[in-house]
Amino acid sequence: MMNYWPWWLGSLALAAIAIGFWLLLRRPLGVSGSWANIVGWREARAVARAEAPLRVNATAMGDALLAATLAEFGEQATLQSLSGPGAGAKSPSKTISPPARAHWSVHLTFFAAMLVGGFIAATLNGTFALRFDLGPVYTQLFGSGWHSWLLLMFGGGLVGFGTQMAGGCTSGHGLSGCSRLVPASMLATAIFFATAVGVSFLAQVLAR
Amino acid sequence: MKKQSAVVQHLVYGLFGLALGFSLSRIGFASYSQVHHMFVFSDLRLLYTFAGAVVLTMIGFLVFAHGHSIPSKPFHPGTIPGSILFGVGWALTGSCPAIAIVQLGEGQLAAAFTLLGILFGVWAYRQVHAQFFHWDRGACE
Repeated sequence: MMNYWPWWLGSLALAAIAIGFWLLLRRPLGVSGSWANIVGWREARAVARAEAPLRVNATAMGDALLAATLAEFGEQATLQSLSGPGAGAKSPSKTISPPARAHWSVHLTFFAAMLVGGFIAATLNGTFALRFDLGPVYTQLFGSGWHSWLLLMFGGGLVGFGTQMAGGCTSGHGLSGCSRLVPASMLATAIFFATAVGVSFLAQVLAR
Repeated sequence: MKKQSAVVQHLVYGLFGLALGFSLSRIGFASYSQVHHMFVFSDLRLLYTFAGAVVLTMIGFLVFAHGHSIPSKPFHPGTIPGSILFGVGWALTGSCPAIAIVQLGEGQLAAAFTLLGILFGVWAYRQVHAQFFHWDRGACE
């Protein structure tokens, strides 16, 4: 028999993780965002390469623009425009440099650590066992074997597609969003929870 | 914002991953049976766990993040249909994007199929979004 944490201990742990995540990393916890970062690693790499020169020299863009202006209009006109109204407009180049984003491999580390965390928890609890089913309730509702695996792949596809489309999941919308009363997050959480409740009751009726 | 070195980021994310995976497993969120009992309201423990976590996180943000602006997710045309699709998937697999990984760690090998599905779903949405949708997803980064 599994001995799970009482609800208050689980609440404390999840809240500590959500708040600690924000305190240390200054961004809200969100697992579906990590998925997007990992799956979109090519685009992330392209963006990082494009941003790299700006990181090295924040004024590089301003200098490049100035050089281009000199080449196009000559020194006289350029000096006039620099000393005229709008002079000092070079400063915006400082705001262009974006905050450092976590590399996609960091999110992969995050996922690998989650796997290890689950392994440690199950091992310490004495419940670790390699098995091909998801437990008695799943088997009763959806059966076992290859067709249940197909259903898992289909359901997983909906989870991946749906969370990307909704812009968040249980952690991003549900925990990080609802706790700050973000309207879109509260709506999303209410809808995905209500839908899951409806489908679960339906599955129970159909399996009878 | 402080600049963090790559090694420190791997370490910090790794520690949070460990804590999250461990906690989700000990809470029972990675058990299909437990999650199904929550959805049909035959066991409210997980529901209390989540509601309690939201309240405690709210208090924590009020205390520690006072005066900080934290990015909020915008409402857009994908919020409602996306949430419905996720809800169906959650009921069918017992898994939100983090859970399948924890299930696999617990030795539930069938979760590998869920993971494959999620991977494909995330990839497919990126293709569809780039071609057809024009709203800002505001996805967390």
